[in-house]
Amino acid sequence: MKKKKDLWSFTVLPLYLFTLVFVVGPLIYMVALSFATNREGYGVDWHLTLENYRRIADPVYLDTFSQSLRLAFTSTLSIMLIGYPFGYFMAKLSSKWKSRVMMFLMLPFWINSLIRLYGWIVILQTKGVLNDILLRLGIIEDPLKMLYSYPSVLLGMIYTLLPFMILSVYSSAEKLDWSLVEAARDLGAGAVQAFFTVTLKMTLPGLLSGMILTFIPSMGLFFIADILGGNKIVLVGSLIQDQMTRGSNWPFAAALAVSLTVLTTLIIYLYRRITHTSELEGLY
Amino acid sequence: MMKLKMKKGLSVTLAAALISVFCLTGCGGNKDAGSSDAGESGGAKEMVLFTWEGMFPQEVLDSFEEETGIELVYSNFDTDETMLEKLAQAKGGDYDLVIADDYIIESAVGEGLAQKLDQSKIENFKNINPLYQGQFYDENDEYTVPYGAGIPLIVYDPEAVDFEIKGYEDLWNEALKDSIALTANYRVINGITLLSMGKSMNEEDVSVIEEAGEKLKALAPNVRMIQDDNTQNALLNGEASVAFLYTSQVNTALAENPDLKVVYPEEGLGFGIMAGFIPSKAPNSEAAHQFLDYILQPEVGAKCFDFMGYYSTNKEADALLENQDLAVPDSVTEGEIVQNVSEEANAAYNKNWTEFKAACD
Repeated sequence: MKKKKDLWSFTVLPLYLFTLVFVVGPLIYMVALSFATNREGYGVDWHLTLENYRRIADPVYLDTFSQSLRLAFTSTLSIMLIGYPFGYFMAKLSSKWKSRVMMFLMLPFWINSLIRLYGWIVILQTKGVLNDILLRLGIIEDPLKMLYSYPSVLLGMIYTLLPFMILSVYSSAEKLDWSLVEAARDLGAGAVQAFFTVTLKMTLPGLLSGMILTFIPSMGLFFIADILGGNKIVLVGSLIQDQMTRGSNWPFAAALAVSLTVLTTLIIYLYRRITHTSELEGLY
Repeated sequence: MMKLKMKKGLSVTLAAALISVFCLTGCGGNKDAGSSDAGESGGAKEMVLFTWEGMFPQEVLDSFEEETGIELVYSNFDTDETMLEKLAQAKGGDYDLVIADDYIIESAVGEGLAQKLDQSKIENFKNINPLYQGQFYDENDEYTVPYGAGIPLIVYDPEAVDFEIKGYEDLWNEALKDSIALTANYRVINGITLLSMGKSMNEEDVSVIEEAGEKLKALAPNVRMIQDDNTQNALLNGEASVAFLYTSQVNTALAENPDLKVVYPEEGLGFGIMAGFIPSKAPNSEAAHQFLDYILQPEVGAKCFDFMGYYSTNKEADALLENQDLAVPDSVTEGEIVQNVSEEANAAYNKNWTEFKAACD
């Protein structure tokens, strides 16, 4: 018995090593770097300072954090409003249609996400497909400037992250014991009351894990803002990239990255405390 | 700082890395051959050229080899910084001629990695357009021969803009609301704002930089998009009616739509100059001189500039260019190059840039 256990720990050893070398290592390096001083021109001096963090407190950079949070919250909320009903009704389909819908959901993943985003440019641009259709239908007289705006970035976010919400809600709703809903109805609950007291509560883990699965990436998906927003919406992610490349200030970039990580962790912690969820569909 | 070379594909990078590995091993051999030949007579067989990929048309390289009997070894680097590092490791040896960007040449010369040119061996030195001489990296023109220049310019669609754009100041015109596409180099965009205020692109005074930041923010409502790659597409597909573009982008835009108007802003120009220099311990500096003289011939120079798509730095080649847009008009008398500034000033430029982008939303 004991021997078996030892063998087991052996098999996970590579995983531990991998995590240590490629996750913990870089993380420590990043934290250390965030206290270093940027050298004029190129490189870093290991002269420890809090200057990088002090610089984040500048309203210019604080604004990028609130901008990122705003976008993440708006996208998560929109995705929830679209994704929940989608996943819920998908679970009610016949098994033949379930697999068809699943196929349609997964199909876009066969194409690189950047290419799919460039597809949106073709649709949204001033001389693009959507404007062309609207003009032909006589709905508008002059082409709309849709691309490079906040709504188009939001659209890109929703488009990219929606499947994650749908799939977690779906897997939750699929496991739902419908006889419970029937029981509620038999006991006199209306359709709405039954939904809120039984269905919603039973599918909550799916909804919550869907929210986490969309919220965390939406804090970091800056390339959507770059491509569909024409670089005009500054998110923490794009600021970090800017500082790593053109700005060539790695310590400041590291400080920004550490702050973002701390902030995201904090939000998830609060979120779990408030919603009292210990189990999240498909996550733990 | 001012990126002259556009990003290249990964495959090219890999190919370049492979080629440079082969070349480096080749160089080692050459060094030995050079020293045993004691190459004073100029009879050495090999010359190692170290520059970006795609800087010369093959026919120019071939005919140089044919005419002189010197075998050219074309070695690539991807960024200026890699070049400097390799050259420093070789202590100024291994390579016979390096062509790179202005600001990195300043570092190379400063670290003693370049040797003074023997102008008596470069008959065609007089052909260089003086516009590109006497620059900060080589004030007395002792070390370098310019080879192509980039000048970011304003390009606009006269059908979509109902007034004549003459300079940077016109970009602030309210009529251009939500219609300008900008390249994304923070120093260049800060720089043209400073130029529009009659200041230097390399301003070090933080209070002046902050003033420029305020002015830059006022440009935000007019900005349609900010992007470094293929910025000209916004102009071509009608997203923007005005664009501030790098040289290669200006040329691509004009090739697609010759009706576009190009503006040499009246407040002054930003230059990026590429130039060749001979490393301090070049194994075959004789051949390098010969090569510089060769590419300074008007006919050869014109072929090179047409091939590269950068501005001709050879006055005598201008008339021979197939693409006359690559000859700078006579009205241009000077340009400023973006240089490294103090860490403090750089932080201020960075802050301006973030504030500006946030204001564009």
